[in-house]
Amino acid sequence: MGDDLRGLTELDRLIHEPARLLIVTILSTVESSDFLFLQRETGLTKGNLSAHLSKLEEGGYVKIEKTFKGKSPLTICKLNAAGQKAFQGYRQQMQSFIRQTS
Amino acid sequence: MKNEISQVEQRVKRYWYTDGIGELIGGGVFLILALYFTMQEYFGEQSVVGGLLQGFFIVIMIGAIFLGRKLVNFLKTHLTYPRTGYVEYRQSGRNTMWMRFLAVIVGMTVAMASIFITRSIESIDSMAAITGVLVAVIFLVKQGWSFGVARFYFFSLFSLVLGVILSVSGLPSGYNLGLFYGIMGVTLALSGGLILKRYLGDNPMAAEDRNG
Repeated sequence: MGDDLRGLTELDRLIHEPARLLIVTILSTVESSDFLFLQRETGLTKGNLSAHLSKLEEGGYVKIEKTFKGKSPLTICKLNAAGQKAFQGYRQQMQSFIRQTS
Repeated sequence: MKNEISQVEQRVKRYWYTDGIGELIGGGVFLILALYFTMQEYFGEQSVVGGLLQGFFIVIMIGAIFLGRKLVNFLKTHLTYPRTGYVEYRQSGRNTMWMRFLAVIVGMTVAMASIFITRSIESIDSMAAITGVLVAVIFLVKQGWSFGVARFYFFSLFSLVLGVILSVSGLPSGYNLGLFYGIMGVTLALSGGLILKRYLGDNPMAAEDRNG
C-alpha cells in the first residue's frame, strides 16, 4: 500500500462517514443549530440523525442540549472545540490526499 | 470533496437570507432614510424641523437599525425557526473582520474617487452618485460576495445605476437622496416580501415535536 493510501487509513472514521461529515460540516459553519435545521439540511430521518448525533456526542465532538421553547422541546447541537479541531484535521488530511493522488 | 464541503457551508450561511425578512426590514430602514432626506429638503436646513432632523440624525439612524434588528429577530423566532429550524451564527472571525475592513477601505476609496470626478462636473449631484456607489459596494462585497446570494448582485447593480441616473436628474440633493433610498427601500421590501411569501408557502409550520 502506497503512502497516499496509508494516509487515507488514518482518517477520522467518526467524521468520514458521509452523513456525519455532513452534520459536522453544517455545525462547523454555525455556533449552534437545532435538530429541525439539521434534519432539513441533511435530509436524514429523525432516527438516523439522532443516532449519528449520539455517536458524535459519544466521540466528544458534539454537545447536545435539550431545552424547551415555550412548551415545545428543543434540541440544540453544537460542535465543541475537539469537534472543530477534528474536522479541520480531517479536511487537511483529505486535501493533502487529493493533492497527492491527482 | 472540498467543493462539496464549501457548498454546504455556503448554503448554511445563505440560510439567513432564505426568508427575505432581512431585506423586508432593511427596505423599511431605507424608507425611513428616504422620509428623512425628503423632509429635510422640503423644510430646509434653516427651519426648526430641518434643524431638529439634522440634530437627531444619529438617533434616528441608530434607533431604526436597533428596532430593525429586534424586528428581524422577532419575525425569525416566530416565522422561520419553527418552520425550518433555528441557527445561531458564529461571531465574525478575524478573517471576516479583515474582509469587512477591506470592504470599507474599498468603499471609501471609490467614494473619494466619485467625489473628485463628480465635483468637477457641476450638473452632477455628487451625493446621489456616491450613495449609489457606496450602497452598491456594500451589497457586492459584504453580502453578495460573502454568501453567494445572487439577488444581491442585482441590488448592487440597481443601486449603481439608480445613483448615476439621480445624480444627473437636476433635482435638489435632498430629493435625490430621498428618491434613491425610497426606490431602493421599496425594491428591497418588495423583494423581501415576495421571498417571505414564497418561503411561508413552501414551508408550512413544522409539527410541535422538534426534538431528536
